Amino acid sequence: MANVLVVDDEVEVGEAVRRVLERAGYAVTVASNAAAGLDAVARQPPDVVITDIIMPRVHGVELIKILRERYPRIRVIAISGGGSFGPLAYKPDAISTHAYLAAAREAGAEEILTKPFDLTDLIAAVRRLLPN
Amino acid sequence: MERLVNSLRVRLIGVVLVILAALVPPLYLGVSAIVREGYAERFVNSLRVYSRLMADELEALEEQDLDRRAVALLDSAVLSGQVLFAEIRDGTRVLHSSIATAPIRVPAQDDFYLGDHNDQVYFITHTVNRGDHSMTLRLGFDEVPTRESIAAAERRVLMAMGIFVAASIAVAVWLSAVIARPMVRLQLAAQRVAGGDTHTQLRVYSSIREVQELNYHLEHMRRELVGANERLSREIREREVSEEKRLDLERRLLHRERIATIGTLAGGVAHEFNNIMTPILLYSQLAAEEVPAEDALADYLRRVIAAAHRARSLVMRILTFSRGMDSQQPTVFPLRVPVEEALALLREIVPTNIEIVLAAPDQTLPVRGDASLVHQVVINLCTNAYEAMRQSGGRLTVTLGTIENPPESQVRPGCYHVLEVSDTGHGIDPLVLAHVFEPFFTTREVGEGTGLGLSVVHGIVSSMGGVITVRSTVGSGTTFSVYLPAATRQLQEAAAAASTGA
Repeated sequence: MANVLVVDDEVEVGEAVRRVLERAGYAVTVASNAAAGLDAVARQPPDVVITDIIMPRVHGVELIKILRERYPRIRVIAISGGGSFGPLAYKPDAISTHAYLAAAREAGAEEILTKPFDLTDLIAAVRRLLPN
Repeated sequence: MERLVNSLRVRLIGVVLVILAALVPPLYLGVSAIVREGYAERFVNSLRVYSRLMADELEALEEQDLDRRAVALLDSAVLSGQVLFAEIRDGTRVLHSSIATAPIRVPAQDDFYLGDHNDQVYFITHTVNRGDHSMTLRLGFDEVPTRESIAAAERRVLMAMGIFVAASIAVAVWLSAVIARPMVRLQLAAQRVAGGDTHTQLRVYSSIREVQELNYHLEHMRRELVGANERLSREIREREVSEEKRLDLERRLLHRERIATIGTLAGGVAHEFNNIMTPILLYSQLAAEEVPAEDALADYLRRVIAAAHRARSLVMRILTFSRGMDSQQPTVFPLRVPVEEALALLREIVPTNIEIVLAAPDQTLPVRGDASLVHQVVINLCTNAYEAMRQSGGRLTVTLGTIENPPESQVRPGCYHVLEVSDTGHGIDPLVLAHVFEPFFTTREVGEGTGLGLSVVHGIVSSMGGVITVRSTVGSGTTFSVYLPAATRQLQEAAAAASTGA
């Protein structure tokens, strides 16, 4: 059974993703921040990490970079709120979501999901990365 | 000042009158005294000579028949016309002229001055010595002709004095008028200036040097006043304009700040909202998979999912709408995509009396740039079009197409994809049309538009290497044409390669 780690500061988002993926037959662990995520990876490296981009303290993009460096085998899906074109002047160092997602892709995220995403899109994205 | 000028005239005439009153009576008295003296002296002198001659003749008369000869002498004197009375006293004997026996009351004394006694007769007494004894000759002369001459002369003097006084007063009146008239004119002109009519020149013709100088100085003052006035009003105008500009700028700045704040807020809210929507959507879909399709619950869940999808697209549009100007990496994208995206949003906000039509070919029409910027261009142009038809209603047509070497002079030859936004609104005045792409140019009230829309559109189109043109007919509508360079095949392939990843 493939392992999936979900990292999101929004507990309800992580929980919903966990239940969807468990029902689809994956073993899922949830972490509410990047540090907890890295701990979980160290305990048991997952096959896929699904991470939010905009998180407090350690940023999703940073997390992806660290994962790519230490665990090149792990595939990464980035998820984030925000429109397909629009910026998000949400944080003081306002960089648009668009730019974040682009940075996430550059750092090594192979799939990008924009919140709120459909159940089928989520499962499809995971299946594309784990074909068997 | 009129009162002053009037009092000046009165005073001038008054002074003349006072001088005349002080001068004329003594002058008259003096002159008439001289005249009177002259006449009297001549009269008296001639009488004395006459009576002396008669006395001499009496002394020379022969003794023989003396009385008869003496009376004849007296008669000749009376006959000469001057003498009214003649007598000779010799002791107690009195000889009278035989003619002048008129009853004249003979006074006892002689006259010395003319008019010493009020009897119209001047008496002279002479002592005549005839050897052994002396006689007294008394003659009475008529004073009336001389008195009449004196009176006539006095009347003439009086008349001359009267003429002099009248002439003096006339001259005084005329002179005062000559002095006062230009002063009154100056005064009226000064009044006009004081009343606000500062542009009438003060020009009073007068031969009086003081009046000329006064006129010159007043005119000088007027010019100074006019200059100062103009300077002041110009300064006030300039200050008003700059103040207006400052306020306008302030308002716009505030407006932009508010817009930016709203954008920031919308972005933040949208992020949270998307986070909240994620479990709603996922759990609804999860639940829908657990429920048999024919179950009523499945229908409810489908409706929840549809509503969640609508909420998601709405947030996406709001985010797109409130996006900033931070330019993304240029990519090659089909022109149709952002256009349809923008029109979908517009259909939600534009009232139904405005029909939105998209006329686009099946081709992809690839252009290079930031799709979100094209989205903004369409939103801006369509919002303007909608504003132009807001009252009347009408048709908003968005046309996409391709053109080789467009006829517009400012477009360089080449292949372009064209985005045209046409409305059937009120059109744009030619004077306004020349300025529509200028920053901060707006015909709307402050608060309704920043006046930045079309200048931003112009900037976006230029940054993509394109050109925007506008043509408008007042009363029938406006068309904006955006020419964007068509992405070349190489660029398209490069973009395709980049998007599929290595």
